[in-house]
Amino acid sequence: MIGFLAFAVAAWVFVVGLYGMATSRNLIHLILCLSVTQSSTYVLILEVGYRLGATAPVFSDVLPGVRAVDPVVDALTLTDIVVGATATALLLAFALRVHKKRQTLDPEALRPMQG
Amino acid sequence: MTPETLAPLAFAVPLAVAALCAAIGPFVPRRVLDALAIATGLFCTVACALLAQAATRGTIVHWFGGWTPRHGIALGIAFTVDPAGGALAAFAAFLSTAALLFAWTYYDESGPPFPVLMLTFMSALIGFFLTGDLFNMFVFFELMGVAAYALTAYRTEDESAVLGAFAFGVLNSVGAFLVLLGIALVYGRTGALNMAQISHALGTHADALIVLAFAFVAAGLLVKAALAPFHFWLADAHAVAPTPLCVLFSGIMVQAGLYAVARVYWSVFSGALGGHEQTLRTVLIVFGLVTAFTGAFMCFGQRHFKRLLAFSTIAHTGILVCAFALLSAHGVAGMIVYVLGHGLTKGGLFMCSGILLNRLGTVDVEQLRGKLSGEWVGIVAIALGALALAGMPPFGTFLGSSLIEHAAEDVGLGWLPWVLLIAAALTGGSVLNALGRMAFGWGPPPDPEAKTPQFESPEANQGDKGFPLMMYACAAFLIVCACAIGLIPRAASAALGAGERFVDRAGQLAIVLKETPGAPLALPPAEPITSSLASGLLAAVLAVAFAALALFAHRLPSGADATKVLETMLKPLRRIHDGVVTDYVAWLAAGTAALGTALAAWMR
Repeated sequence: MIGFLAFAVAAWVFVVGLYGMATSRNLIHLILCLSVTQSSTYVLILEVGYRLGATAPVFSDVLPGVRAVDPVVDALTLTDIVVGATATALLLAFALRVHKKRQTLDPEALRPMQG
Repeated sequence: MTPETLAPLAFAVPLAVAALCAAIGPFVPRRVLDALAIATGLFCTVACALLAQAATRGTIVHWFGGWTPRHGIALGIAFTVDPAGGALAAFAAFLSTAALLFAWTYYDESGPPFPVLMLTFMSALIGFFLTGDLFNMFVFFELMGVAAYALTAYRTEDESAVLGAFAFGVLNSVGAFLVLLGIALVYGRTGALNMAQISHALGTHADALIVLAFAFVAAGLLVKAALAPFHFWLADAHAVAPTPLCVLFSGIMVQAGLYAVARVYWSVFSGALGGHEQTLRTVLIVFGLVTAFTGAFMCFGQRHFKRLLAFSTIAHTGILVCAFALLSAHGVAGMIVYVLGHGLTKGGLFMCSGILLNRLGTVDVEQLRGKLSGEWVGIVAIALGALALAGMPPFGTFLGSSLIEHAAEDVGLGWLPWVLLIAAALTGGSVLNALGRMAFGWGPPPDPEAKTPQFESPEANQGDKGFPLMMYACAAFLIVCACAIGLIPRAASAALGAGERFVDRAGQLAIVLKETPGAPLALPPAEPITSSLASGLLAAVLAVAFAALALFAHRLPSGADATKVLETMLKPLRRIHDGVVTDYVAWLAAGTAALGTALAAWMR
């Protein structure tokens, strides 16, 4: 049951984020929607490594043989977050730069090139 | 030193040098950093070439930290270098070196971040080609992306460059998320991230989850490869990115996305999806043809020369996707040779556009009308590049097309190469059309009512500084190499051998998981390329004919009307390339849904 729920949440978050990006009228809002979209990947990755009733994969204070969740997905999610933070920071810097030049963040008003 | 030790060095050394450049950048003269970067590029070119050469004696597997498979189960991260991947990595390093050499005189003042970002970008490209681990591939995908966004917006005072980088960053990030969703689904099913291990665990049975995972991974990677309708970012980013970078973007980065799809298909999914080849082929060819003609039509009549070249890259992506879609060793061989030939040609053409921008301050074809008359080296280079884009013998693109032609006949799609030939000829023709206007002032004057597009500010220092020997030498060298590739004896059979190795799933499983020693590359006899000489020449003639029509049709009776009708027909296509990033995201979502639905519906 929890598996299905997590899949549904991941799909919903992904679609909602994409919808927000496609209808955005402000570049900062668009970047935040991008982060929302990215959150769906966290949910999905953590879900595939989750095991019911298992403990965190830190073995300093538990006996060997205790059920633990998959430590690989933790590493994957962490990498994903780091990469996402870099891209978000860069995009925010771009948005600031554009605003300084054009005093607007509306993508419709900012068409750089057409045709 | 064994070739195995070169595999990690080829991507780690440029990263380390990039860090060093960032640290010492403020304290040393610019030329020191440039020289360091060029030396690193040369090192990587040689290292990857040696790797590729060693890989012909058997695929090289390097396990980081000595985490070799135990009892046939791979937990560690591996680089798996086969001849195709090694050759493309060497090519990426070679193009990076050429771009760095070009930038030597192109910029008066570039600032320390430029070599740092270029080296990071090159390192990510090399790692991307060599890795044998799915998640590792995603990490290199993102590293490549971040370095590329920053480089695209390198001239931060130019707002169109920043906006182009923004669209590029947003779309490629969504592409990366799609890849990651696919990887998560695969990991959930198999508990593995090594490609061979996943392939082994997936077996030969496909279900809905596997099809969905493949659709996600492929769609995400195809955003990088600029498949329609994921291609919108490319033209906006390429038109505004610094020229040395465009050489890498159009020459290898876009093709890296497609290479990754091919790699993931053959190394991971080919066992499970093997029974659905026909469906996959149909879907990919439809997308590929749409891409080829979208690019070709948008390319034709572009006023902005760099944007024109960018759309031609999209057209050639379509051709490459069709080559991959044949899903055969020969198709892969054709694809790889075509990537090399196209990358060299397009690199040379972008360098020529950079020289124009540098000397004349613009790349607007109409503003440059007749202004190119004295630049004979440039005119000859652009003309040869245009014919090479069309696929004229003996250029590398011709050899690639010839291999693709035979591969298409093998799977009963003899008509496909002829259709692709038209798209290639259109891109060559549009470059010739622009050249005719710029060099000789031919062609009808621009419509005075048409809105003059907004053009970029010159990237580099302007003004007459004499003949740009270094820059022309780089451009000419790339064009000469594009020709030389087509003339190497046995290049075709080496490519076919590399293609056979690339698609050999069982062989890869044995080498990676069971650590059986690899066999030397077989060199199957290639069909003589003379058999496609006719189609190659036809492509060149068509390119010239298209250009002549565009330049002189208005002098024919009712020619002007015909041109107008054509323009009106193309208007909707031009209108969707509107530069609004939100629209691009909507197209991406629609494209992913279309690709996923098509695969899921037919692959049940």
